[in-house]
This record gives sequence, C-alpha cells and structure tokens, in this order.
Amino acid sequence: MGSYIIKRFMLSIPLVLIVSFVTFSFIHLSPMDPAEVVLHSQDIPTITDELLVQTRANLGMDQPFLTRYLNWVASCLQLDLGDSYITGKPVWSMLGPAFFHTVKLTLVSTFAIVSLSIVLGVACALNAGKWVDRSVRGVSFFLTSMPSYWLAALLIWYFSVKLDLLPTSGMESYKSYVLPVVVITISYAGIYFRIIRSSMLSNMNEDYVLYARACGLPEKKITMHILRNSLQVAISVFCMAIPIILGSTVVVENIFAWPGLGTLSVKSILSRDFPIIQAYVLVLAVAFILFNTVSDIINAALKPKIRDGL
Amino acid sequence: MTRRMGSLLRTFMVSVVLLVGCSHGDTEKTELTNKGKEIVYATSKDINDMNPHFYSGSMPAQGMVYESLVENTEDGIKPLLAESWEVSEDGKVYTFHLRKNVTFHDGELFNAEAVKRNIEAVQSNASKHSWIKLSTKIVACNVLDEYTVELVLSEPYYPTLVELSMTRPYVFISPKNFVNGGTKEGVSGYNGTGPYKLTEHKVDQYAVFEANENYWGGAPKVKKITAKVLPAGETTFLALQKGEVNFVFTDDRGANSLDVAAMNQFVESGEHQTIRSQPMNTGIIVANSSKTESPVYEKAVREAFWHAIDRETISKQIFEGTEQPADTLFSSNVHYANVKLEKRGYDLEKAKKILEEAGWGIGNTGEFRSKNGKPLAMKLYYDVNSSTQKMQAELIQYTVKRIGVQLEMIGEESSSIANRRSTGDYDLLFNQTWGLAYDPQSTIAAFTSKSSYYHTTRGLAQADELYKKIEEVMVSTNEEHRKSLYADILTIVHEEAVFIPITNGRVTILAPKNLQGISFKQTQFELPFERMYFE
Repeated sequence: MGSYIIKRFMLSIPLVLIVSFVTFSFIHLSPMDPAEVVLHSQDIPTITDELLVQTRANLGMDQPFLTRYLNWVASCLQLDLGDSYITGKPVWSMLGPAFFHTVKLTLVSTFAIVSLSIVLGVACALNAGKWVDRSVRGVSFFLTSMPSYWLAALLIWYFSVKLDLLPTSGMESYKSYVLPVVVITISYAGIYFRIIRSSMLSNMNEDYVLYARACGLPEKKITMHILRNSLQVAISVFCMAIPIILGSTVVVENIFAWPGLGTLSVKSILSRDFPIIQAYVLVLAVAFILFNTVSDIINAALKPKIRDGL
Repeated sequence: MTRRMGSLLRTFMVSVVLLVGCSHGDTEKTELTNKGKEIVYATSKDINDMNPHFYSGSMPAQGMVYESLVENTEDGIKPLLAESWEVSEDGKVYTFHLRKNVTFHDGELFNAEAVKRNIEAVQSNASKHSWIKLSTKIVACNVLDEYTVELVLSEPYYPTLVELSMTRPYVFISPKNFVNGGTKEGVSGYNGTGPYKLTEHKVDQYAVFEANENYWGGAPKVKKITAKVLPAGETTFLALQKGEVNFVFTDDRGANSLDVAAMNQFVESGEHQTIRSQPMNTGIIVANSSKTESPVYEKAVREAFWHAIDRETISKQIFEGTEQPADTLFSSNVHYANVKLEKRGYDLEKAKKILEEAGWGIGNTGEFRSKNGKPLAMKLYYDVNSSTQKMQAELIQYTVKRIGVQLEMIGEESSSIANRRSTGDYDLLFNQTWGLAYDPQSTIAAFTSKSSYYHTTRGLAQADELYKKIEEVMVSTNEEHRKSLYADILTIVHEEAVFIPITNGRVTILAPKNLQGISFKQTQFELPFERMYFE
C-alpha cells in the first residue's frame, strides 16, 4: 500500500505542472497588455507611453514567454506567487486569508452535507417507495433545482429581515455561518443523499443481508452492516465534495459578502488581477488533484485490486 | 429504526412549517439603527490601500482621512490646510500660508516641512501622476518658514489650485508613515489631518472610521462611520431593510448598487430620504473619429446617430427622471462650459436626411443603409456590470435601426472598455466625463492622451488646431483668452459630434430620515461626512 501511495502522489506532479502551464499560457495569451491592465487596475487616470514601458519592465514582460513561465514556477515553488496588480501586496497575503475563510465555510458545509446525506439517504432507503422516500426526493429535487442566488436571497429575506434571527451577510459570528451553509448544503446534499440511498438499496439485495436475516440477526445490526458497506462507496465521493465546494462558493460568497476565495476571484477577474487569478486556479487545481489522489488511495485501501492497476 | 426516522423527519418538517408560519410583520431593527448615531454605508468594494499618493484606495474613504491645501467649492477655491496664498506675477510661484495648530492623527505637527516632504514624495513617483498635469510642472517645493511653503512651477499653469484641491495625490499623510523616506514603496500607517481616523480595517469585510476629536475644524458630530463591503445589490437592499446598513451612495464609477425603484421603496416607507446632487458629470457615447474603415469616421453618421438618441425616454424610463437629458459634453454649471452650442434633439427625420445627403441609401433589403457596398453597421461597447448602460444601449439600438443603422451591442468589463479606448479598437463606447472639479480641464486634457480620447479626436480635420488650443489653454494666464479657447475647443468637438451626450449624472444618497447636514462636494468621488449630524 505504501508504494501505491508514493506512486499515486508522484503521478500528480506532472498534472500540477500541466495545469500551471495551461493557466499561465491562457492568461498571457489574453489580447490585453498586462502593463496596461496593471495601470488600469491601479486606476491611473491617464497612461503615458513612458509609464507603459516602465511598467512592462517592472513586470518582466520584456523577457521571453518561457523564461517568464519558468521564473513563475520557480517562485511558486518558494511559495512566492508574485504581487497583486491592484494592491501591490504579495498574492499570498491576499489569497491566504481568503482561502482560510473559504476553507472554514467548506468544512462546516461538508460536515452538514455528509450528515444530512447520510440521514436522508438511510431514511429513504429504509422507506423506499413509501411517502417519506417520495417526499424527501421530491422536496430535494425542488430545492436543488432552485438557483442558489435566489435561494440565498429568499433565506436572507425571511430569516434575517423578517424574523431577525440571523445577520444578512458578513463573517462576524457563528450565526453568520448558518445561511451560507444552508444554501451550500441544500445545493449538494440533494445530490449526495441519492448516492447513499442507491448504495444502501443495492446492498440490501446482497446475499450477505439475506444470510444475516436467515441467521436471525436483529434488524438493527443488519442495517448497520448495510450502512457501513454503503458508506465505503460514498467516502471517495465525499472526498471530492471538498474541492468542489471550495471552488464553487462564488455565488454564495458574493451574496453573503463572505470574504473568501469566491469573492476574491470575482474581484480579480473583473479587474484582470492576473497574478491572483493564476494563483487561484493553481490552488484549486492542486486541491482537486490532491483530493482526487486521496480518494483514489481510500478506494485502493478498500479494494486491493485497484492497487494492481498502477 | 424506520418509525423513529419517519417521526424525526415529521418533527423536522413541522418545525420548518411552524418557523415559517411564525412570521411577524414588524421587523426588529438592529442595535445599529436604533442607536441612530452612526453611519454604516454599503460599498461594493473594499477601501483597499489607503496610501493617499496612490490610486487604488476608495476615494470617499481617503476623503475622510486626508486633506489638501485648498478646497474646491461652488464659490471657487477656498482655504483648507492653507489659510491663504499668493501667486507670483509670472504665474510660476505659489506661496501658501499654512493653518497653524493642525496635527496629523498620530500627533505629528502639520507644517511646511510636512508639506514639502509629501509633495516631494508625490513627485518622486511622477510617472504615476502624469495624468494630473501639475505633476509635470512642479520644479521645487521650498520651505520659507515653519508655516510658509512655496511651490515653484516650470511654467504658468492655471488649474494649479484646482488640481491641488483634488482627493489625491496632493494630500498629506504624516511623514512618520513614510517608508524609506517616501510613499512610493507604501506607507506604514494612514494618519492624515482629516475629520476621521481609520481605526479598524478587515479586508473585504469592513472599515471603521472614528471622529478625530482634535480636528482643527471642530470634531465631527457623527462619531463613527463604517464602510461595510456588500458586493451584491440584492444583499445591500436586504441589509438596508434590516437596518444593518443605513446609508448608500453612488459609487466612483457612477453606478448605484440600488436602482431608482428600490430607493423609492425605502423613501415611501418613511424611514429614509434620498438626496441628489447637482449635475456632476455627463454620460456620453464616444465615437472613434480615427477608425477610417468604420462608418463612424464620417461626421454625417455621428451627427445622425446623435439625432437618433431619444434622451427624454432614457431620462424618464431608465433613470426615472433622476438624470436629465444632456445636449452638450459638459453641463452649463461646469466652469468655462457655458458656451452657446447648437442643440441636436431627437429627430429621426433629420437623421435620415443627413444620411441620405451623405450618400447612405437604403439598400435592397429595405432595412439598413449602405454606401458603395459598405453597410452602415457599427459596434457599441457598454459596461457589462451596468444595468442602466445595457438598457440605454438597447433603446439606442432600437431607435437607430429606424434610421437604417445596424448597431451591434457588446457588453464588456470596464477595464476592457478602457483598453479599447486607449488602443482605438472601437466604433462607439459608453463613458462619462470626469465630473465637477476635474472638468473641463481633465477631460479636455485627455483629448490628447493616447490612453484616453486620442483616437476619438485624432481623425478630426481640425485635430492639430484642437490640440494646439488645448496646450495653450492650460498655460494661459489671461481669463478672457482662456474662456475663448475653451469655447473654441468645445465648439470643435460639438460640431464634429465625437462626444455624444446622453444624460447628466448626479450623486445620489439614500440616508436615514433623521440624518441632517447632507451636502455634496464639487466632486462625484467623495462626500463631506463631517457636516452630517443626526437630529
């Protein structure tokens, strides 16, 4: 297993490099002159030719593309992602806190999604075809099909404005987590509980369940066995939920004024703050690759056959 | 297990229904509004770097913290940190007598030495400030005594005092905050002399400004102002309803996070008021006169386009009467802009006649015009984040179609539009003048700038004459001559129809009804919070 883990991690390195190259190329293929973008980003009202030349030199834009890419990779390896075009501050100093804020939201949301998915998945599977199952699936279909932007506005209006129970936005106390987490949970739990449900249902038809029943094992114990086996399938799915949520908080963060990665990325894209966009894409790509690797390792641990494929 | 699970679900659903059913109409206001003593304003962006010698900081925030030597008011230039000043006969030396007993927020004394160091800090980064012509004219800043300082220019420059009054860069920060003897490498703190101190800043969340009790002009009555970052207009609306924010105003790009209908709703509820400034700027469509391959190159096309815009409908339907139709580049309250110019009203028949005379005939399709096989088709770029620009573009697209002009609308980010403006890659695009205090000199100086309106003006037959007059007006010391030069400049661009005016923009404030003393400055970029008070 140890060698599998090492091999699996080694395989992700070229993937990260490819992603970094594609990100860097796409941004630098943009028809806009980065020097002009920097000066516009800084709201310099009038840009002179001298200022453009000076800014290009400061950015190292006078060097060949490949040299710039290699320099960028070299500095990334030293955890130096460059400086923001707008604020002039190191990218890490801006990305770090935003990443941390999004991680907090992601972790709480993932916990809520996993718990709710298990509860609903089990309830639906045990009542397959009955009113509980049908109504949960119906309600979840209705809720997940609602645009999260609209759902968020509706929840703020009701719980913050009308009932005055929660703040409308911001990140001031534990109360601030409630609505963003609810919106994220509704968007994802509706999808994930179906995985648990179908996994439970397929396990319920397995021979070992029949055998256990024949042996007279209590129904409670049999259910726990089914659940344990079903969860094994879901673990790798839940693993990928973390980077997916991490990268899809844009709408929720924007409407709840949550100062995370989503808000920062929108702000950077709108103002063409290339160093931040590059770093944002890179961080997300690394997160996806990392969690994908972890999920593969978990699967390999559960099913030793997979290890042989590598 | 099954039964328990079912009962759990039932309990959950009943709780939700009960919670929903427990709605009570009276909204509990938060502590914030009940206090009624502080202003919490919504801003779509963080206040950013508050270094006053850079341009990324929020201007309303910088305006609270830093001050300039003089102030631009409706009645002209008035003293601020300088009590009085003299200008030498040759117009090259400005001597300022500074206000005494003024301290920076960190207790440092504001004196001639602080002025000299700040001016030198700005000048040491001159390339960043070349948009403000004064930066290219300052030769030296000399300390004459503790409270007297002189500014020496290379040549007379009439807008000197106006440019010294702007929100940035000629404002003063405590020299203790300098890094490596200047400000171009950043600053270590944000201590100005202004009525408010920045006491707390959480990036992308909020910034708190507290009253400067030692302010030379007397401590402000509103003791605390919070800028709360709310990127989405919908959240701003709901936060206002809840009372988490109580003040909203037009941002520095002239956009409101709330539309007119939403603002009216708050006013009707009886707890808020809206206040609008006098016309501050003009929303315009800029035509590229140097794009020879486009129909926009022709004056007749630009003129016909001008006549085909229904400004009255834009004003009434899109702005609900809050912005008035504009007939000229600058409204008449802009200094030197009260020039008699021919009005080009909404007149489709006239527009058609102009096009016919210029040889643009209706082709076989019977819908759009063409000339020598070239279709009368143009592209109009608008800011994708501005709902009002999109609506205006749609209406214009509809009306110009009726005179046979094919107009394609393209929505882009503001920085992308700025890039098109500087590279000349456009037919028509939305823009706005810089606004009072900056106009007419800054907008007109931008006519010659490659990154601004160079492509707009370069194709004009009188371009060289225009540029010469612009150069001349900036150094002219004779008021009458200056007036006549400005009249000539404005007449040229008006007759050539390169800046097509739409409406005159105003700054709009939505505030609690008991907030008094609300007024405006001669700029759309900041507000005099220190004059406000709660009744």
